[in-house]
Amino acid sequence: MLRFILRRLGVSALILVLGSVFLFFITVFSGDPLEDLRESRDRNREQLIAARERNMNLNEPWYARYWIWAVGVGKCVTLNCDLGTDSRGADIGTALMNAAGSTLRLVTLATALAIIIGITMGILAAIRQYSGFDYIVTFAAFLFFSLPVFWVAVLLKEYGAIRFNNWMADPSISLTAGIVIGVLFGLVIASLLGGDLRRKLITFAVSALVAFGAVTYFDSVEWWRQPALGLGLIILIALGAAVLLTYLAVGRSNLKILYAGLTTIAAGVVGTFVFGGWIESPTYPLLLLMLAISVVAAIVIGWFWGGWDKRIAIWVSVGTAVAFAGATALDQLLRNWGPFLDRKPRPISTIGSGSPNFDGPFWTGVWDWGVQLILPTIVLTVISLASYSRYTRASMLETIRQDYVRTARSKGLSERVVITKHALRNALIPITTIVAFDFAGLIGGAVVTESVFGWKGMGAMFQEGLTRVDPGPVMAFYLVTGTAAVLMNMIADISYAFLDPRIRT
Amino acid sequence: MSEDNDKPEAPGSGREHISPIPEQKDPGSLQHREIVVSDELSVEKQIDLTQKSYSQGELIRRRFFRHKGAMASLAFLVFITLMAVSSIGYGIIPGWWDKDYYSAAFVENGGRPTLSLFPPVWGEYPFGQEDAGKDYFALTMRGTQRSLIIAFTVGIMSTLVGTLIGAIAGYFRGWIEAILMRITDLFIVIPLLVMAAVLGQVSGGGIWPLAIMLSLVTWTGLARLVRGEVLSLRERDFVMAAEAVGTSSRRIIFKHILPNTIGTIIVSATLSIAAVILLESALSFLGFGVKAPDTSLGQLISIYQNSFTVRPWLFWWPGMIILGIALSVNFLGDGLRDAFDPRQSRSD
Amino acid sequence: MTTTTDNTSGAVLDFTDVDVRFSTEFGSVHAVKGVSLHVQPGEVVALVGESGSGKSVTSMTAMRLLPGNARIGGEITVNGQGIRTLSEGAMRRLRGNDIAMVFQEPMTALNPVLTIGTQMTEALELHGIASGKAAVQRAIELLDMVGIPDPERRVKQYPHELSGGQRQRVVIAIAISCDPKVIIADEPTTALDVTVQADILDLLRSLKDKLNTGILLITHNMGVVADMADRVAVMFKGDLVETGTADEVLLNPQHDYTKMLLSAVPRLGAGRAQMGINISEDSVDESADLAIDLENLVIEYQRLGKAPFRAVDDVSFQVRQGEIVGLVGESGSGKSTIGRCALGLIPAAGGSFRLLGEDITGMNRKQLKSIRRRIGVIFQDPAASLNPRLPIGECISEPLVVHKVGNRKSQEQKVYELLDAVELPREVFNRYPHEVSGGQRQRISIARALTLDPELLVADEPTSALDVSVQAKVLNIFSDLQARYKFACLFISHDLAVIDLLAHQVVVLQSGKVVEAGPREQVLMDPQEEYTQRLLAAAPVPHPGEQRTRREERHALLRQLGDEIAEIKGGGQEFHDKAGGV
Repeated sequence: MLRFILRRLGVSALILVLGSVFLFFITVFSGDPLEDLRESRDRNREQLIAARERNMNLNEPWYARYWIWAVGVGKCVTLNCDLGTDSRGADIGTALMNAAGSTLRLVTLATALAIIIGITMGILAAIRQYSGFDYIVTFAAFLFFSLPVFWVAVLLKEYGAIRFNNWMADPSISLTAGIVIGVLFGLVIASLLGGDLRRKLITFAVSALVAFGAVTYFDSVEWWRQPALGLGLIILIALGAAVLLTYLAVGRSNLKILYAGLTTIAAGVVGTFVFGGWIESPTYPLLLLMLAISVVAAIVIGWFWGGWDKRIAIWVSVGTAVAFAGATALDQLLRNWGPFLDRKPRPISTIGSGSPNFDGPFWTGVWDWGVQLILPTIVLTVISLASYSRYTRASMLETIRQDYVRTARSKGLSERVVITKHALRNALIPITTIVAFDFAGLIGGAVVTESVFGWKGMGAMFQEGLTRVDPGPVMAFYLVTGTAAVLMNMIADISYAFLDPRIRT
Repeated sequence: MSEDNDKPEAPGSGREHISPIPEQKDPGSLQHREIVVSDELSVEKQIDLTQKSYSQGELIRRRFFRHKGAMASLAFLVFITLMAVSSIGYGIIPGWWDKDYYSAAFVENGGRPTLSLFPPVWGEYPFGQEDAGKDYFALTMRGTQRSLIIAFTVGIMSTLVGTLIGAIAGYFRGWIEAILMRITDLFIVIPLLVMAAVLGQVSGGGIWPLAIMLSLVTWTGLARLVRGEVLSLRERDFVMAAEAVGTSSRRIIFKHILPNTIGTIIVSATLSIAAVILLESALSFLGFGVKAPDTSLGQLISIYQNSFTVRPWLFWWPGMIILGIALSVNFLGDGLRDAFDPRQSRSD
Repeated sequence: MTTTTDNTSGAVLDFTDVDVRFSTEFGSVHAVKGVSLHVQPGEVVALVGESGSGKSVTSMTAMRLLPGNARIGGEITVNGQGIRTLSEGAMRRLRGNDIAMVFQEPMTALNPVLTIGTQMTEALELHGIASGKAAVQRAIELLDMVGIPDPERRVKQYPHELSGGQRQRVVIAIAISCDPKVIIADEPTTALDVTVQADILDLLRSLKDKLNTGILLITHNMGVVADMADRVAVMFKGDLVETGTADEVLLNPQHDYTKMLLSAVPRLGAGRAQMGINISEDSVDESADLAIDLENLVIEYQRLGKAPFRAVDDVSFQVRQGEIVGLVGESGSGKSTIGRCALGLIPAAGGSFRLLGEDITGMNRKQLKSIRRRIGVIFQDPAASLNPRLPIGECISEPLVVHKVGNRKSQEQKVYELLDAVELPREVFNRYPHEVSGGQRQRISIARALTLDPELLVADEPTSALDVSVQAKVLNIFSDLQARYKFACLFISHDLAVIDLLAHQVVVLQSGKVVEAGPREQVLMDPQEEYTQRLLAAAPVPHPGEQRTRREERHALLRQLGDEIAEIKGGGQEFHDKAGGV
């Protein structure tokens, strides 16, 4: 197994080097880097040309320039990278540090969301083949496949940012809007949960009423500008997670597992009072510390309750703990929406990845970059979600037809166990490869998205570098995305081996 | 044919010791018998010579024409293409639309579109006018033409190249396969859009050079698919049989293998046309694809994206057409896939 | 239709007038047309029929696992409970607990990503028999019972680490884990080699003897029926045409279909002239030229990062002109590899391979082509043997076109002659392979193999994918053609009875080596080698009494060779106690 990964890594490194040569070569020959200066009538034209030639080593042949670049990258081994200077003489390494952070944040979040949502939708569509839900997912996938990224991005800027900001200035929801929201919510929940017509109708009615009630209530208490969850809702969310996880893991039969989850919630409530101060004005290390504490506590609780199935009990209680911690963090975040609005009355800017020099307490700071992340993440998620849901659906349908699924059913296992334990794992095997392969495509999509949303990320770096026929920034872009893609592939290989015992040996 | 059945067994022929197979002496044993497999007792399907014979191709065509979504998409695509070509004309084909896409004019009524459905009015400027007063209908049609040309050229060229290389790599294996796989790996580390952007920059902005450059980067997906299919087909008995007869490699590839991958090829070619439409428009939007004075749908959106709040139609028309073309081509591909592979069809 | 006269009270599985229709794209398909059948405890009822008879569909109704487009009529009871009206939850409790299944394909019946232990314990835990460590312990005991060596290690392994026979034992262990009243075994041995088949049948037999389990055995193999069944039910196109005890049905069949089916089964040792097949005995001239001459042939498969796998190791034998040589062996014996090497599809790694007098081991493509002109080939899989894109006429004339023999007119004429020879109407010339059945496709394959009047024919399991009655027809045509054209033939098969019918010489292969070779009578009637004896002893014959004797002889042989006879270990009562719950 280790040998397999090392060999793949070796091949990837080779590909990375070959790719860099290729990209460097075509970038250098994609145009004339001095074109604008040659046409310029500036008096110091000659000096400018000389300066640019110096910055970009234009007097050397392309392979020498490549060599200079490669030697600089080689210094990364000693943590002393030298990526050269761009056409204006600025250090590329410094620019890259700033750019890489925001782009990778965007791409990672979008990939994670797309994987989770896409695979879930694919599975649901497959087990409800030919249902209304299946047709909607299929049509949505086709629509998302066919959307021009930049076009959607511009639309989102208009409706998600400008009009949302207008609405936020004086938020209120009319009765009609409330009803529409309720009906839509009810339809979505009913089609997600499925069942026969009667069950669907009940689900629809209940969830539509709940949504309508919530919206009206929120509207009356000015929730839109001062949102919060409160301890009650936090407990409810964690409870939901505990019940759901127990159901998914063992069904309704084993109460001990559920008790583990419930104990975890009780411990969480105690925790919120003990760590109250930290939660209200934390730092990232403090947050991580608190998460670690809750996970450890959950493991202990799971171990204590587990009986003969300690492993599952631990999984369930850890899941519950994470849900509880997440809900608590969300609560804090929501409570700080008001203060954030005071600082920034039009919350979502159409361009940029955050307000420059934003100054405020921790949670408002999170809002500041968080809201900027929302729209581009939606765009990127939507376009890659489509292919995951299609692949998962196809793979799942193929798996459900297999003999071993029939064997599982013939043992008397319930549909839930047949799907989650027997079919899903097999269906995920081919998808890991596709996820890894699509990652490069997502980075490509990020270039366009960043351009529309005016992010100073790596996409901008690449775009600018290519426009100026300057290989420096282009190669810096390649260095990060190429490495990320190789890493992603390695993760895919490892998870492949984790899922499929046949290639482990 | 039963004459020898009753021949006495030759002594010494070895038939007398039948160990460990016991002798069959039971009266009930059906030892010497002749079988009569009458048609009504046969489980074998009888050939019905009264029915019309359909080749695989005809069956696929029938299934395809019954696919409503695909048919609607095809109609839409034909309509858009005819509209784009006939309205402003192409080359020597004269157009019926009286305005062109390059002359500026007086901006009437803020350049608002005159098209309306209720009552159906076509009007002077159906799609409105852009900032300099150029007729936006003519401009959009011009963009559609250019985008379609690129999409179809790239679709056809990359399909031809991809099929050929995929087939050769899959059949002969060896170094061609190694190179193909390494090039595929290259696309894992260099995003397709990035590669296409750099090549688009090299091409300089004309549609034909751009089409060639895009063909260079889009064939690998199909090549990989075809290679995979050929790898499995070459192990099939009928290919083995052809090889065993001494059929030349060329004949095996073109007569026995490729006709059986036609489904993959056609579906993939269709889907690649949709992908190219989107790729081209994204590149043009970024400024690495079609450049002025030439135009394309992506380039139109790029130019007019900032007038969205004032003149939204400048943004909506080209965007809706891109979406419409991509969506219908994708549905067409899906219909073709169902027709070629009825196992995955929704009607089974 | 025959009705069951036995007393059905106390039956563990009872079908009354079961009727199944599938609604499909092309209208409704009536798969099962009113079948009544019952299984008593400790009884094996064999449901026999060829493909499309509806036997598997009938059995699946008892599990209620048919796809959603099936409409079922009639009454089915499992252990006294009518299952048509049961709730889904109650039906799930029944599955595994009261009724269990053993499937045909051991390679795919187990989930490849879960350990054997996980797949065994989940049923135990679900039905409340044992949980946690106790369940694992029970799984180990069950594996031991079905005769899997080293069960402690096996529970932690994945299915791909086990052989086909062992996997089928695991499937049986899962099936008996909750002590079901009845087991449905759907072609449990069809995918297995004949020696493994005999073991698995022994194991199943001990289930009914020791645990008093009722077994509904679905099979197409009359030998298996004779070996296992107490009672037999014969199905044909959805109808139950005949039922009775094994002796009644196999020895004194009443219905024409049963008679036909029995007459179409080739019988080992029943002499040459069965089923109207007549391969003349004295046609082989000892001094005839050699069509195939193998000397110390070695064939290896290259493997990535490992030593090459030696599929054929030091094999020598000869095929004379006009002679049929049967190449026999179980899976993995290298018999097909030799066939492919004879066609020049796989290179030899050592030794010499002389084909029609010329050594082909070092030949290039061009030299091979002239040799290939003189060889015909028939492959196993009727679904893959013809190019689906070419009309049948073109499929047959393809060799003529490749070797540029004759003009279009004469080629067409030749195809018509061949179609006549394989007894197909000339009208199929312009039809496509998907329009004809599997047996007809194999006949077309034979026609194609004979287009160039070959001196040698390589037939790689040409009938093993076909139903017996179809096989009989194909073999008949084959033997007639051999008598007419006198080609030499390398006939590769795992079926000793077929080889016995056709071959002059027999070569027995095991793991790439020749075990025994010689004239048919000598090898099949008086085998000298242990492996050949085992192979012959394991092949079942469609005669209950005779098969009983053969089985006892086989057991005696195994004991003499120091082998175990497969059976459930441990006593019945102890088993029932344990399976009753902790």
